[in-house]
Amino acid sequence: MSDLVLSARGLARTYHLDRVDVPVLKDCSLDVEDGEWVAILGASGSGKSTLLHLLGALDRPDAGTVHIGGMELSRASQRQLDRVRAGQVGFVFQFYHLLPELTVLENSMLPAHMPGGVGASEGRRRALDLLERFALGDRLGHRPRELSGGERQRTALARALVNAPRVLLADEPTGNLDATTGAAILDVLSDLHRDGLTMVTVTHDQTIASRADRVLELTGGRLQLDDEAAEGADSKAVVESRRP
Amino acid sequence: MYQLLLTNRYLASRLTPLLAVAAVALCVALVIVVVSVMSGFLNMVQSSGRTLMGDVIISYPVRGIPYYDDLVERLEANEIVAAATPAIETWGLLRMPYPEGDAKESVKVQVWGIEPEGFAQVTSYLESLQWTKPPKEVIRHLLLDVIDSNANTLIAALDGPTRAALLQHTAPDSVAGMSADEIETLAVQLDNPAWDVRLRIVALEGVDAFRSTVNDAVWEAVVEVDPRLGPGTPTLEAGATLMRDGREGIVTGLHVSDANRRGSEGQTVIARDGYWWLPRFDVTLTTLPIDARGGILEPESISLPVANEYAAGVYLIDQTRVFVPIDLVQDITHLDEARLVDPDDPTTVIGTHPARATMVLVRGQDGVHPTQLRGVVDRIYDEFASAHGASFTPPPQRGLSPGLGIRTWEEQNASFIAPVQKERQLMQTLFSIIYVVCGALIVAIFWAIVYEKTRDIGILRSIGAPRSGIVMIFLLYGLVVSVLGSVAGVGLGWFVTTNVGSIHDGLSDPPLWPAWLLIGAGVALLAGGIITGRRRRMLPLLLGSYAMVACIAVAVGVILLRESGGMTIWDPSVYYFDEVPDQVDWREAITTAIGAVIASVIAASIPAARAADIDPVRALRYE
Repeated sequence: MSDLVLSARGLARTYHLDRVDVPVLKDCSLDVEDGEWVAILGASGSGKSTLLHLLGALDRPDAGTVHIGGMELSRASQRQLDRVRAGQVGFVFQFYHLLPELTVLENSMLPAHMPGGVGASEGRRRALDLLERFALGDRLGHRPRELSGGERQRTALARALVNAPRVLLADEPTGNLDATTGAAILDVLSDLHRDGLTMVTVTHDQTIASRADRVLELTGGRLQLDDEAAEGADSKAVVESRRP
Repeated sequence: MYQLLLTNRYLASRLTPLLAVAAVALCVALVIVVVSVMSGFLNMVQSSGRTLMGDVIISYPVRGIPYYDDLVERLEANEIVAAATPAIETWGLLRMPYPEGDAKESVKVQVWGIEPEGFAQVTSYLESLQWTKPPKEVIRHLLLDVIDSNANTLIAALDGPTRAALLQHTAPDSVAGMSADEIETLAVQLDNPAWDVRLRIVALEGVDAFRSTVNDAVWEAVVEVDPRLGPGTPTLEAGATLMRDGREGIVTGLHVSDANRRGSEGQTVIARDGYWWLPRFDVTLTTLPIDARGGILEPESISLPVANEYAAGVYLIDQTRVFVPIDLVQDITHLDEARLVDPDDPTTVIGTHPARATMVLVRGQDGVHPTQLRGVVDRIYDEFASAHGASFTPPPQRGLSPGLGIRTWEEQNASFIAPVQKERQLMQTLFSIIYVVCGALIVAIFWAIVYEKTRDIGILRSIGAPRSGIVMIFLLYGLVVSVLGSVAGVGLGWFVTTNVGSIHDGLSDPPLWPAWLLIGAGVALLAGGIITGRRRRMLPLLLGSYAMVACIAVAVGVILLRESGGMTIWDPSVYYFDEVPDQVDWREAITTAIGAVIASVIAASIPAARAADIDPVRALRYE
């Protein structure tokens, strides 16, 4: 069995909105192996993004643990969490979330400047390589507003990968793109996966799920299959489809 | 460093930080202008006190100090005393040469009797003399004066060719077609009044035309009568010696004469195109002498030629003070030397009342503090008083003679300097509130920026930016904004302060072109607003309308101001000085700029802390 890159156990998260508690995640567990691509399917509001934020050290769970590369995040200090976000995980969002004042190259290099990043000169080298690979070599000095949706998402991908993270967390990466552009982004993700990148993608798009190694479904605040796996039940085939 | 990169980009790409820069700049400029003008005013008060009366003043009004020559000698023998000079201060009436006719105007003047040479060593008297040479517009009048008083002498000096030239110059038609001999023959037949008129006609064309027309003998005669028309600086020398035309003269403050007024560029404008230039005329000085018992005697009058005018820059002094040779003032105030006769036998002289001076002004060597000098003067005065204590008219003694004062220039002017110092402190204290204003503006503007940048903050946190990094972005941003604002504020403050005189003159006599420019700009802005507003945008139309209304309102204000004769804010009769101080107080300017930077950075830390506290998950969802 390959090494575990990411492991979550018993994750729970409740939002407190106007004196009303809204439980979003209840006892979610998940293991992601090195080089694996896991797709998490779920309806809107099912808690997919919340799960991704917990896995990426952007938020803290009310209960449960997350391990990334052997580090237990619930016991980590704020500074350690910052370093995990900078160096261990890379985020890709549905709406790209690029800084509008920075150019393509500057956006891509930004994580390299953070504590835990690879540093300015190495970051620049890697960003240039990634942008070249993503066919953005002639757009280095352009601002996000001058780019198409696909170009923006590829820039966001370059930014997510510049510090060579252990795992890429993608939140609806094609959700804001037309079918053709979305397919192109999926091709890029597939290429990255072939190169050994570990990825967790949350989506409601079956096309993405069809390319993943493993597909999980988030319903009622639980990840059905991995929760059962944690209990030792051998019923993965019920909700899991594994690519040959 | 990503904070620097983001600070730089945020500054360059948004209007909001420019508002913050403008807010800081205006606050800084406001303080610099106000404090610089106040400091300049205080400096003028202090420096004028010293340059007008020396470092230490011994004064004994009315009765005066006898044997003052001995006192001056004793003072000047001390190594820390640079010079000392006697003076008399009294009040008088000056009968002016204007207006035309017999009924002349009289003005109240403060008469200072001085020994000009010694007085110039103690004070900046020479530097304050207004006229080195007669002004251009006056020369014509001086020339006419010479022709008035010495026409026959000048006509006698005219040679044949000059007479012919004068005829050709003044009556070309009457000599047209004549040969040179015929013209000379005609010239011989003309009488003196005819030549007098011709000389005047040429003189009216100006001194250059006159000089090029007449022969050397005539010009030499002119310069002999009035050397001020010749080379050198006899006008200045007349002021420096208080002598004009071989007579003892008077130097009057520049604003004693109503004929002098300040022009729009600060120059002195003399009424009737130079005609009423006071050094052309004689004036009559009348004083009321006081006898030994303090009673008032018969008024004494003396006619004096005006040698020059004096501009100390202190309006109050320039409006009232006149300088006259000390011996003349002693005569008319009865402070001159007098013989004492036996009351029982008036033919028997029993002693002499020495001449007296009401003040002795002392200047210390460079670097000697006035307080130190006063201590030395005290001691020397005591020795002097005791040396003459047995004389028939002993000098007043310190501690025994009320009215005797030995004071530094600061003490002498304390009642004037202290309020100005307090006013400046008050201004500085009041205007330190500007830091609070500056800080509040920064908090408000930066709070809006943080709000606007919420999603950026979420993005930065998601890629690993620590909270301290977010704080640093906004602190750096605050630092850069405040430094830029302070530098711009210092520049603006410097510009306004150094041009405060021109701005003031512009308000006093506003030109019309800014009004037309503003109306044009207002119309252009409205047109721009309408054109942009046609694309269904409300804001440009609104801003264009407001800008037009503001421009036209200011333009109308300028026109009304002009129609109402301008606005004099700095009235010299109120503020003592005839010019607005225009030197930047750099120490205060730098302190203000640094204060604004500190206040801004402290203020920026509040929205910066809020930015750091933003939950990254919520920030990423922020639309």
